[in-house]
Amino acid sequence: MAEKYDAIVVGAGNGGLVAATKLALEGKKTLLLEKHNIPGGFATSFVRGRFEFEASLHELCGIGPFTPEGGPLKKIFDDLGVSDRIEWVTLDEAFRTMTIDDGSANFDYSLPLGRERFIAKVQEYAPGTEDVCNKLFDLCEVINNGIDFLSSIEDFTSDTLKSIFGEHLSFINIAGYSVNQVFDTLNVPKKVRDIFGGYWCYLGVNLDELNFIHYFTMLHSYVVDGAVIPRTRSHGISCALLDRFEELGGEAWFNSPVRRILVHNNRAYGVLLEDGREILSDYVVCNASPYNAYTKLIDTNEIPKFRIKDLNAKKLAVKGFAVFIGLNRSYEELGLNNHTYFIYNTADTRRQAELMKRRDTNSVQATVCLNTAIPDCSPEGTSVLYMTSIFAGDNSWNDVTAESYVKTKREFADKMITVFEKATGCKIREHIEEIEIAAPVTYAHYTDAPNGTIYGFDASGTDTIVHRIANQAFGKKIDHLYFAGGYTMQCIGFSPSYTTGNLAAEGVLAEMRKEAAAK
Amino acid sequence: MKNTFKVKSEGRDILKTLNVVTGRMLDVNMASAHIARHPDTFNVNRIAKQLHPKSLKLRIKKVDVFSEDVKSYILTSAEGRMLPYFKAGQYLTVELKVGSSVLTRPYSLSSSPRDSLSGEYRITVKRVPAGFASGHILDNWQAGDIITAYPPEGTFGYEPLRDAKTVVGVAGGSGITPFISMAEDIASGDSDFNLILLYGARNTREILFKKELDALADKCDKFKVCYVLSDSTSKKYETGFIGADLIKKYAPADEAYSIFVCGPGPMYKFLQSELPKLGLENKYIRFEMSSGRRDLAIEPGYPKDMLEKTFSLTVIDRGSKYETECNSSDSILCALEKAGIAVQARCRSGECGFCRSKIVSGEYFIPQGVDKRRIADARFGYVHPCCAYPLSDIVIKIN
Ligand SMILES: Cc1cc2nc3c(=O)[nH]c(=O)nc-3n(C[C@H](O)[C@H](O)[C@H](O)COP(=O)(O)OP(=O)(O)OC[C@H]3O[C@@H](n4cnc5c(N)ncnc54)[C@H](O)[C@@H]3O)c2cc1C
Ligand code: FES
Repeated sequence: MAEKYDAIVVGAGNGGLVAATKLALEGKKTLLLEKHNIPGGFATSFVRGRFEFEASLHELCGIGPFTPEGGPLKKIFDDLGVSDRIEWVTLDEAFRTMTIDDGSANFDYSLPLGRERFIAKVQEYAPGTEDVCNKLFDLCEVINNGIDFLSSIEDFTSDTLKSIFGEHLSFINIAGYSVNQVFDTLNVPKKVRDIFGGYWCYLGVNLDELNFIHYFTMLHSYVVDGAVIPRTRSHGISCALLDRFEELGGEAWFNSPVRRILVHNNRAYGVLLEDGREILSDYVVCNASPYNAYTKLIDTNEIPKFRIKDLNAKKLAVKGFAVFIGLNRSYEELGLNNHTYFIYNTADTRRQAELMKRRDTNSVQATVCLNTAIPDCSPEGTSVLYMTSIFAGDNSWNDVTAESYVKTKREFADKMITVFEKATGCKIREHIEEIEIAAPVTYAHYTDAPNGTIYGFDASGTDTIVHRIANQAFGKKIDHLYFAGGYTMQCIGFSPSYTTGNLAAEGVLAEMRKEAAAK
Repeated sequence: MKNTFKVKSEGRDILKTLNVVTGRMLDVNMASAHIARHPDTFNVNRIAKQLHPKSLKLRIKKVDVFSEDVKSYILTSAEGRMLPYFKAGQYLTVELKVGSSVLTRPYSLSSSPRDSLSGEYRITVKRVPAGFASGHILDNWQAGDIITAYPPEGTFGYEPLRDAKTVVGVAGGSGITPFISMAEDIASGDSDFNLILLYGARNTREILFKKELDALADKCDKFKVCYVLSDSTSKKYETGFIGADLIKKYAPADEAYSIFVCGPGPMYKFLQSELPKLGLENKYIRFEMSSGRRDLAIEPGYPKDMLEKTFSLTVIDRGSKYETECNSSDSILCALEKAGIAVQARCRSGECGFCRSKIVSGEYFIPQGVDKRRIADARFGYVHPCCAYPLSDIVIKIN
């Protein structure tokens, strides 16, 4: 009989790589299985002509270059022993955010990173709003303290309760509200809302529905703690993690799709590979989406009813669309002076979400010019631009067929280029030397993403980040099965998916210790 | 913050927070207990599966014989499935078992994308002297046979967002194949650009698809073809090699144009010295990959004392280990195939990345111009074995 592993990790995306490396670091015999021939999942890159394109990462939070002790993700990478294998480049600019369809109300704001600098710049656009800006950043501190406190609770005592309803009451009060509800309470002026709301397309939920804590922890970690990008694209992070995993004795198999996660008597005990091989393990960490795990990978009869209902009470998040462009001029020549451009149709985020349902109405894009941060990321005299858009609604892209697909995606890419040129005044079209277009179909193909989503489950309704964290203990689960990645508790994003990988491994390790002690 | 922050009022805020648990539970309770929709039933997932099946079983419906050395194969699905649609200019990868070797070869589709919708692909294979696969195909493949192939791939083709409205195509030998597909795509109205094709051959007998090309040029004014013969003179055709002067003669004088090249190695060498004379920007010149055998003896930078050596090749594959060997003149991919070890490969030219593998230990040589690896891959010891040649004993992890 084949040997048995302590743990099998299904999927070498961000969550899977961190979970596997952590388990290997703790001396666990770990097998990492990936259906592709490269690690990283979304965290990857590809080469066209003389350009290497980043596939997904715009900027990474959690490394915290502005904080003396570094951010929480830096700590995870340090502990795993991978930090010295990755070279980070610190970003200077937060974003340039603009609207194009609001007529005379259109805005165009450019903001730097760093709390002081950010607030100072807001004053240029909206004089006299220093107080409210400070209040918003102070609320971030309140939230972070609240989260730190909650995650530090070991025994729930009357003192805990006292603290919760004492020094952390503000946190509790705010937990259930959306960004706009808190903005209303603080009477935040429109310009300040528009500026602070700039990042919202990173989460894809309109600000009437997006949980305040969710959004502002993200904003805080970018603006206050600082943002970085890896010098060799996110593929460099994926390679570094895999390198460390293998150095620690972990086994990674590529081109090895998993057909089934094996579950018996409500306990995961291994996997069945597409090639028919069965491999046994004590634990399984699943970095494939829970959606696919429950609908494809696990025998339906073995799934607790609660998990099926919970899955059905979730909504798939927005779909992705991206255009990758290699330009045959330098970014200086083209006037591409910003790292991140957020272009919206309108400042009304609820209406924007409606417009995001159709290709003819959607103009949203988050566009990165990588050379502004890494001037030599492409050959001299050239530059790299990647534009990402998102589509809302389950039915967007349902009108596309295999035959019309290439034309359709090209048409939308064409529109994104037009929108970008019009909004920024930078002429890029005649300088396109390489272009690649990724549509929801591409994401469905590449990561098996259900309906081509790139943000996992929609963090709205009763499935916001606060709902997920507060409810994590409830409902029957499959024993010895853990989930990691962007569909899980901390919602979408690079930093959250690495973090949930770490949490999943911690969960496995804690349970291993508990079971060892019980024996 | 000195005072407690309230959004609405203390009571309402706390209720709202408590509702985070009760509200969720309510939603979960009300949700269906039937397993959610299978992901493959979403339209975008369905199209992804249709366009990128893992592999294809194809039946050879018909063989068109140009000569003993050139044949076209009309292929249909042997599984009764729709063939993946493709972009004119892309190639199909076919799998072969020759003796104990398992290998793949890329062949540009010489049929129109539209034909794939009615269930047909066509590839055209020309014998390469002393070639390994081409001869096997030409001598063995018969109508009715079933072959394994991998769906269309490749980036050679017209991209309106990138290329000039007029393309001067330069074809040599079997390099005509992707241009037939492009010309058909223009003629059927699925592509919109002007294609001026300069097709080089030794003599009239070596011109492939002449009837088809002439007919296309007759019916479609966006496509023109000009034959260029190197070994014979004829008033009807251009003579000599295709170089800068000939391109200038046929290219539009007063508007931008792109040049697409697909042909044999010597043609690429010649054009690489000719094209700079035209003063075009990099973006207007595109070469299809070439996957032919390399003569390392004339490869710049290759350590000549390594020629004709044999090294050990240790292969790690999902917990298994195989021992084999590798001639210094064979790419590592070729050595793997000779050993009968099936590996993922498509383009064999360094570009597609399918063969990407980790060199656990050993030294290797990568010829100039084919190192298309990601920066991090090069840093962490990954290579594309189709373009890497051993300089020592090698340990490679292929999966
Ligand atoms: C994008 C693309 C499109 C192409 N389109 C066409 C087309 O439309 N029509 C066409 O005719 N050709 C086309 N080609 C070329 C085609 O793929 C083959 O390279 C060609 O048919 C020659 O293959 P060959 O094996 O006969 O010869 P060679 O090119 O000489 O290849 C021989 C190779 O086989 C290796 N070899 C030798 N012995 C063994 C063994 N025992 N086991 C395994 N390997 C061994 C050699 O080391 C060498 O690498 C295309 C190539 C590319 C890259
Ligand atoms: S087969 Fe395409 S890179 Fe090696």
